[in-house]
Formats: sequence, C-alpha cells, structure tokens
Amino acid sequence: MADSRHHAAVAAPAATHVVVKDVAKGYPGVRALAPIAFSVQPGERLALAGPSGSGKTTLLYLLAGLLQPDAGQLCIDGRDLAEMRPGRELARLVGMVHQQYDLVSSLPVLHNVLAGRLGQWSLAGSALSLIWPRERHLAEEALARLGIADKASQRTSRLSGGEQQRVAIARLMLQSPRIILADEPVSSLDPALAEEMMRLLVDLVEGSGKTLIASLHSPYLIKKYCTRVIGLRQGEMQFDLPAADLTEAVLDRLYDLDRRRPENGAIRQE
Amino acid sequence: MDWGGSLIHSGGGGAARTFFLALFPPDLSPEFLRISLAATWPTLAYAVAGMTVAVLIGLPLGILASGTVISVPRLRWPVALASRFSLGGMRAIHELVWAVLFVAAFGLSPLVAVLALGIPYGGILGRIYSELLHDVPPEPLRALRTAGASPVRQLLYGRIPLALPDMVGYTFYRFECAIRSAAIMSFVGIQGLGYQLQLSLNDLLFRQVWTLLLFMLVLVVLVDQWSSLVRRKLAS
Ligand SMILES: Nc1ncnc2c1ncn2[C@@H]1O[C@H](COP(=O)(O)OP(=O)(O)OP(=O)(O)O)[C@@H](O)[C@H]1O
Ligand SMILES: [Mg+2]
Repeated sequence: MADSRHHAAVAAPAATHVVVKDVAKGYPGVRALAPIAFSVQPGERLALAGPSGSGKTTLLYLLAGLLQPDAGQLCIDGRDLAEMRPGRELARLVGMVHQQYDLVSSLPVLHNVLAGRLGQWSLAGSALSLIWPRERHLAEEALARLGIADKASQRTSRLSGGEQQRVAIARLMLQSPRIILADEPVSSLDPALAEEMMRLLVDLVEGSGKTLIASLHSPYLIKKYCTRVIGLRQGEMQFDLPAADLTEAVLDRLYDLDRRRPENGAIRQE
Repeated sequence: MDWGGSLIHSGGGGAARTFFLALFPPDLSPEFLRISLAATWPTLAYAVAGMTVAVLIGLPLGILASGTVISVPRLRWPVALASRFSLGGMRAIHELVWAVLFVAAFGLSPLVAVLALGIPYGGILGRIYSELLHDVPPEPLRALRTAGASPVRQLLYGRIPLALPDMVGYTFYRFECAIRSAAIMSFVGIQGLGYQLQLSLNDLLFRQVWTLLLFMLVLVVLVDQWSSLVRRKLAS
C-alpha cells in the first residue's frame, strides 16, 4: 500500500527538487544555521563551501533527516521532510556518504554493501540476510562496476582507504537515493583518491537527473565536478554562484574573514 | 591487640607442613584419575549449562537495557530501566545464595546448579552487554540510519557486529569464573570437583587434593585456549 503510493511518486516527472525554506538550527548556546533559504533543481551538483563551524555538516544532516530544524521547512518533491517515514521512504530520496565512509569494519564487505537495502527489506529479511545474503547479485554488480568484485567476502577492516571508499559508494548504489549528500567526501584523501571519489559521485548522479550536494573546500574540485556553489559563514549564506563563476578572490574572502592570525594576536576569544 | 593466638592456632604449623610435604607427588593412580575425571564432568557441565542460561538471559535483557532498539521514546526508557533493574536484582544475589534458595525450594538437583549459576551470571552479562552495545562508535550507525535502517536493523548490522568481539571475550572470561563457581557449589551439596575436594580434605588426603586442583587448573587453561582461538577467528 505504502509502496504503490511511493511508486506513483517515482513515476511522476523528475521533480525531485529540494527546497530549503528559512531553515534555522541551533545547539545550546550556538547558532549553527541562521535562517537560510535556497532551492536545488534536479541534476544540480551543489558544493557547500565555508570555514570550520560555518554550518555545512548541520545543513547536510538536516537534509538527511538526521537533525530536525528549529524553524522553517525542508521539502523534497514538495513534501515536508518531517512528515516522511525515516526508513523506507526517506532512504529512497536521500542518501549520504560520510567523511570516513563509516562502514561497519567487522562485517564482510558484502553486508556493508547490502546495508544499502535495509530501508527496503523487512526486518526478518534483514536478519536472515546476515546468514543467507539476499539480492547478492546487486552487491556483486556494484562491486564489479567499481573494480573490487574480488573483495566481497573480505572483512571490511582489511581494505585500504581507497577500497573502503568504493564500498561506501557501492552501498549508496544499492540504496539508489535521488539526492546524494556528501560531507567532506575528500577531506582525508590524497589528491588522486580525491579526484576518484569525486568522479564516482558524479558518475552516480550524472545523466540520471539525480542531485549531489557535497561540502567541499577545493576550488579546483568545485569547478571541475560541481555546477553550483554556496558559501556559508557562521551559519549564513555568503554567496550562491554557478561553479564556473567561482574565483579565488571570492573563496579567499569566505575563508579569510574567519581566519585566526596568531601574528596579529587576534586569536578570537570563544 | 593480641592477634597471635587466634590467627595461627597451635597445631597449625604442623598441619601446614604436612600439607605442603604431602603435595608431592600428586595422586596420579589410575583409580583416582578416574574419580577426578568423573568429578570434573559435572563441574564443566554445570558451568556450560549455566553460561548458556546466562547468555539467554543476558542478551535480550542487555539489548533492552541498552536503550537502543525501541524507537518509541515513551517506551524506550521505562523498558530500559525495568531491564536494568531486573538485571541488577539477579546479580545482587551471590550464586551460592541462589543455590541455597533453590535447594530449599527444589531439593538437590542438577537444575539447581544450572539456575544458581545462570541467574547471577545472566545479570552480569546483561549489564556488560548493554554497555558494550550502547558504546559502539556512532558514525557507522549514523551511516546505516541514512541508508534507511531502523534501530533494530542498526542493532543487527551495526551494534552487534561492532561489539561482538568484546562481548565474546567477556563471556569467555565469565565462563572461567563460572567453572570456579560451579566447583564451589559443593558447599550446598552439589556434585563436582569441589565436592570431591571436600571429601579428600576431610580425609586429609592431600595428594588427592593436589590432583583435583590440577584438574581445575587444566580446565581453566583449556577454556582460556578455546577463548583465544574463537577470538582470533572473530578478528580475522
Ligand atoms: N552536536 C553539537 N552540539 C553543539 N554544537 C554543535 C554541534 N554540532 C555542531 N555544533 C556547532 O554548530 C556550528 C556549526 O557546526 P557544523 O558542524 O555544522 O560546521 P561545519 O561547517 O561542518 O564545520 P567543519 O568544516 O569543521 O566540519 C559550530 O559552531 C559547531 O560548534
Ligand atoms: Mg563538518
């Protein structure tokens, strides 16, 4: 029943678009996000830039349904995020790659990849799959596409950083959400792996009308892989530009304003 | 204060010397080895059965007590508190006291030993399980959550796999303790190494005592070896 309703939504014209309506979020004693508003069209690849503490993670967690806004509204496909059921429904719309990929290191790779299906499987099916893996072919196809088909039965903690990154991507491929969020997906990677990660993420969304929203600091990567960039500073939107228009000067201003210069003795009092 | 007379009574020195001299050699006659083996069996069996009961009690209650699986907030904490409270009650009472109570209720039977071990050990295991399950790193769980996994699925795919090596390690450690506890169940008249030990001590057959202690030692060492084998397998 819930399923047929959902299929109707999927069959509708590719109207996945994200509307952030005057969303604010604070933590005790901290204003993490001033009311900000923007919308994202299907197929856009949006970069979030900004210094540490500017609210990038907070914004992504709000979009992922991991946090609830204090004020304002987040809508996807015209529907309020707060009204969606967290598992099944939301997981089809929004998925996330985390900074350290956040795999369950003690499980075999296969189960980490199949975890992308947990939103769709029944509880009994999820439990049994740990013994008799379900939809194994999906996981194997994804791993093969990423070039690590031979790692399926390995313990995840044994994999290199680059391989783990692909396992996280494979999990996302099985989840197949229409909006992909990525929180600093390249921050701990060497330049080659960083480019590979961006390539994989862009491959996931390109041509399928899916949307990517990623926090990124490198102007080079933003220009190369994104279509649009929003600059955040202390929870406020500083600029919203096509990625092609991003200049070093704009980015320097975004980060410089908050830079702490020890030589000036201007280490801010917290 | 004058401790002298009361701590070491006059004949004590002589008895101690006899005891230590009599340690060597232990009684390794086939006949007594057979008796020792026969006494080892119930001790091991009670320990294994008791630990099985303990895991069956500790795992479900530990999961509920961790407050991580019930998604309805109104239910979560009452259930967690009730589980914690019952686990606390089970381990507040020593296994020998449980044994005395059960002997009074059911008379001497193997079931008494198993329950008397299983209940307090279940209380201990449940407490530790709940803490281990609660304290796994949050990042992998958050990732499972954004993949659409409910709290129970997060338990199956995140919390349990992440906590399992520690849970197994601690269970084996408790298994060693259970062997010792099973042995001293003889104080309420239950068969096993402890019972045989008491008989030999009463008859001042110290060489037999030494043999029985050796059996105890071997048992604990074997469990320890088994434990490291299992943990190595889990870690690979
Ligand atoms: N759980 C929390 N409790 C309290 N304050 C928080 C919490 N999470 C974030 N904050 C605060 O909210 C503000 C925004 O944090 P956020 O993590 O969104 O920034 P960010 O842009 O992701 O920074 P970074 O680049 O360092 O990851 C910061 O001032 C931070 O200290
Ligand atoms: Mg952040």
